[in-house]
Amino acid sequence: MITQLLKQRFETIGKITELFIQFTNSCFSKPFYLDRVFEQVVRLGIGSLSISLVIGIVTGMVMTLQFGYGLEKFGGTLYVPAIVSMSIMRELGPIFTSLLIAGRVGSGISAEIGAMNVTQQIDALRALGTSPIRVLVVPRVLATVISLPLLAMLSTFSGILGGLVIAQTEFNIPPGFYLNKVFSSLSYSDIFGSMFKCVFFALIITLLACYKGFHTKEGTKGVGNTTIWVVVNSSIIILISDFFLTKFLILLF
Amino acid sequence: MSKILELKNIKKKFQNKDIHQGVSFSLYKGETIGLLGYSGAGKSVLLRSIIGLEEIDEGEILFQNLRIDHLKENELNKLRQKISYSFQNAALFDSMNVFENIAFPLIEHTQLPEEDIEKKVDQVLDLVGLREAKYLMPSDLSGGMQKRVGFARAIILTPDIILYDEPTAGLDPLNIEIILKLMNDFKQQGLSGIFVTHDIPAAKKVCDRLLILKDGRIHFSGTPKEFDESQDHYIKTFSLNS
Repeated sequence: MITQLLKQRFETIGKITELFIQFTNSCFSKPFYLDRVFEQVVRLGIGSLSISLVIGIVTGMVMTLQFGYGLEKFGGTLYVPAIVSMSIMRELGPIFTSLLIAGRVGSGISAEIGAMNVTQQIDALRALGTSPIRVLVVPRVLATVISLPLLAMLSTFSGILGGLVIAQTEFNIPPGFYLNKVFSSLSYSDIFGSMFKCVFFALIITLLACYKGFHTKEGTKGVGNTTIWVVVNSSIIILISDFFLTKFLILLF
Repeated sequence: MSKILELKNIKKKFQNKDIHQGVSFSLYKGETIGLLGYSGAGKSVLLRSIIGLEEIDEGEILFQNLRIDHLKENELNKLRQKISYSFQNAALFDSMNVFENIAFPLIEHTQLPEEDIEKKVDQVLDLVGLREAKYLMPSDLSGGMQKRVGFARAIILTPDIILYDEPTAGLDPLNIEIILKLMNDFKQQGLSGIFVTHDIPAAKKVCDRLLILKDGRIHFSGTPKEFDESQDHYIKTFSLNS
């Protein structure tokens, strides 16, 4: 039972790795579908703008409230801008945005490809002499790899601004002081680290979604199961891999 | 007539179940053959194997005397411009309208300018009698219309062979007649075809030869007349049941 489960897991990892290799090969050989990449950036990326903004602002506001009242007892309110901006930039921005994208974009991609699979549209693509990897996988993966770091940055900066509003209204921290502390605590390595994580998470989300979409069976029920599998597994992998990525980035800088 | 496609001793298993146990037959240029058999006999799997959507376990598939059963995906993609496939459920891209569906192979495989693509699409739409449906979405079409759009998409690159997977399944008699007329029109234009069906009367109207698939092998091969006159018990029972 356990060996069978392990075998299945390793098979899945093998197939996802194979998909990643096919994706990489397709990125560096003709034909290119730049218009489809752009179309997906608009659909997946720009479509996620508003929710990224909201999640960023709310996170920044809540974090500032929690840290503000927590540190007030020890007279440490002045440290709030640095703590809030560093935690949002390094962790909360990329993680929350990625989890959000896993839910919104990962489920969307897997449902779309899964539905195409059960209605033989993937077979039709192949029968028409076209590679489904080039037409479906490459545009979606590239679009998410481009969009997710930008969305995370947007979410992070909106979080910092949300924090600024709460810092001034609740703790009387002047905006100039707040921003000065934010800029002096953050470095380029923080921005790079955050974007690096997002690129990694984007690959995880889209490769899992595309893989599961291509292997969807059992009609509409199968499509539902596929989306659940993608959201659950990509969220777990994002959270676990975040620890190792953080450790790696700390060692790197 | 010269052979355009040849299958030699094809064997295929699915999870230890033998689907094909040595299927052999040839398709000649300009000919349409009917591939009949009960459900689960492996008719559609055979069509999918011909264009490499399924891998065969043993045997050889030759197209214009060249082996095609072990081609890589990018080589298969070139072959699929010569052998097209009409799916049972049409398998139209549901996010594209009729025009985009039919134009898709032209955009993928040719460098034609937009005006020429539009002209070619209009020509095939006229051929299948669906000019008025040009900008409709697949969900707006009836089953028969979807199959005709599927035909149009399958012939837009002017292939040598078209593989019809149950094109008359689930259609009313009027739509069946329209589909069969189209298949005969394609045949008149020199297109070879393999027609997978349960519908014996339909197969007789289009096919030059009928092949019966039984227990993973070709049990019978002959003209519709030979099929009618056959004294074989299985053929008689199959004919009565279908």
